Amino acid sequence: MLKKRLIFTLLYKNGSFLLSRNFRLQRVGDIQWLFKNYHFETISDAIDELIVLNLDDDETKIPGFLNTLEEMVGHCMIPVAAGGQIRSVEMASALLAHGADKLVVNTACFEQPELVEELVSRYGSQCMVASIDWTGPDNLKVFSHSAAQEQGLLHDHLKRLEALNVGEIYLNAIHRDGTGQGYDFDALNAVPNDWKVPIIMAGGAGHSSHLSQALEHPLIDAAATANLFNFVGKGLANARRELLQCEAPLAKFDD
Amino acid sequence: MKITLIDYGMGNHLSVRNALSRLGYNSSISQDPIVIKNSDFIILPGVGSFRRAMENLNGLGLSEAIIQAATENGIPMLGICLGMQLLGSESTEDGISEGLHLIDNKISKLDSSSGIRIPHVGFNNVYWKTANALTDELNQNSDFYFTHSYAMTDSDKSADYIYCDYGAPFVAGFRKHNIFGVQFHPEKSQRTGLKLLKNFLEIKRA
Repeated sequence: MLKKRLIFTLLYKNGSFLLSRNFRLQRVGDIQWLFKNYHFETISDAIDELIVLNLDDDETKIPGFLNTLEEMVGHCMIPVAAGGQIRSVEMASALLAHGADKLVVNTACFEQPELVEELVSRYGSQCMVASIDWTGPDNLKVFSHSAAQEQGLLHDHLKRLEALNVGEIYLNAIHRDGTGQGYDFDALNAVPNDWKVPIIMAGGAGHSSHLSQALEHPLIDAAATANLFNFVGKGLANARRELLQCEAPLAKFDD
Repeated sequence: MKITLIDYGMGNHLSVRNALSRLGYNSSISQDPIVIKNSDFIILPGVGSFRRAMENLNGLGLSEAIIQAATENGIPMLGICLGMQLLGSESTEDGISEGLHLIDNKISKLDSSSGIRIPHVGFNNVYWKTANALTDELNQNSDFYFTHSYAMTDSDKSADYIYCDYGAPFVAGFRKHNIFGVQFHPEKSQRTGLKLLKNFLEIKRA
């Protein structure tokens, strides 16, 4: 049986990892802080995948991000999806060359759909994660440019992404982002019928019970958290253990 | 011991290399046919579309080198993910294109008629009827990390297979003499994955 996944999302900007709350950013610590406080060498025992997003639009900071990515990949044997600021094939190829297994695109899906198509054709659907920032409560809308620009209805955007053949959808609720109040499952009402693309739920997880609600949901394939405080220390490992005790459909890793 | 990861512009070599160094093995990344043919072990990683990968292999003159290394030189070879598919005869990804024909199996898209989601992403358990060198000391139904939309058939009867169920059973791995392939990513599959890589690197050359 295919297991569901637990994903840890890291937000990066200019040498620091950040906590985002409703898209307002707070610096938390650098890579050494992360390695130490998240026991990085054993993080693959707790989570199935890592997502790393560069939030810095300053292009001179890209080499620093690439080096950080490579250092992280060297410290954990885990699939890593990387993104943020992917506006060219060169950028995508640089991320893969520095150890990313998958690419995360968001704004490009609105502004450069032809780039997304090219990346799908070059690297395959399984390499492409489309991240969506959405909010409600009525007429669920999607936003680009770090939730700054409205881009129409969530339902329409999902259809567009399906047509672009992206491999996975990362569904992030702007109004729950970093709040720790739990996921907003309303977004799933906008998922078209006969939907075939794996869905990663994000935005709002603050406790293992939130992760568990997502993992139990038939439409959801993976639960993500980007909360740097709620799962610090052994928080992710503890969450996985609790989830497995409640028979969540996660992989059990051998010792 | 010379372990060569073949570089054809489309693999994630870094992860495989990191996994090997955790096991205490040095490896080199190369696109030089001479280096490849003089290796003790060859690993063909890969992320991307089959067509582009074959265009790159042919363009770099690597197809011939890989075939010679595997057949005439008998060097143990492991294809990972797309790298395994390239060892097959042909794929329907992005139009039909020919593979390296080291195993006589075709590659086509996973059948989603049962309602499964594609790509197949995450840990899934694998099993085998006939054990092979790769599965040594591994438990049946061990979880490995997959991320793919295409899979290989098992029509070549001269190989032993590892299977995984997703909608229907598909080939998760094979052994044909000194040629091995895995559809999953051992380098992303925890200690079980490392054990499998170690099994491969302990194979004695015939």
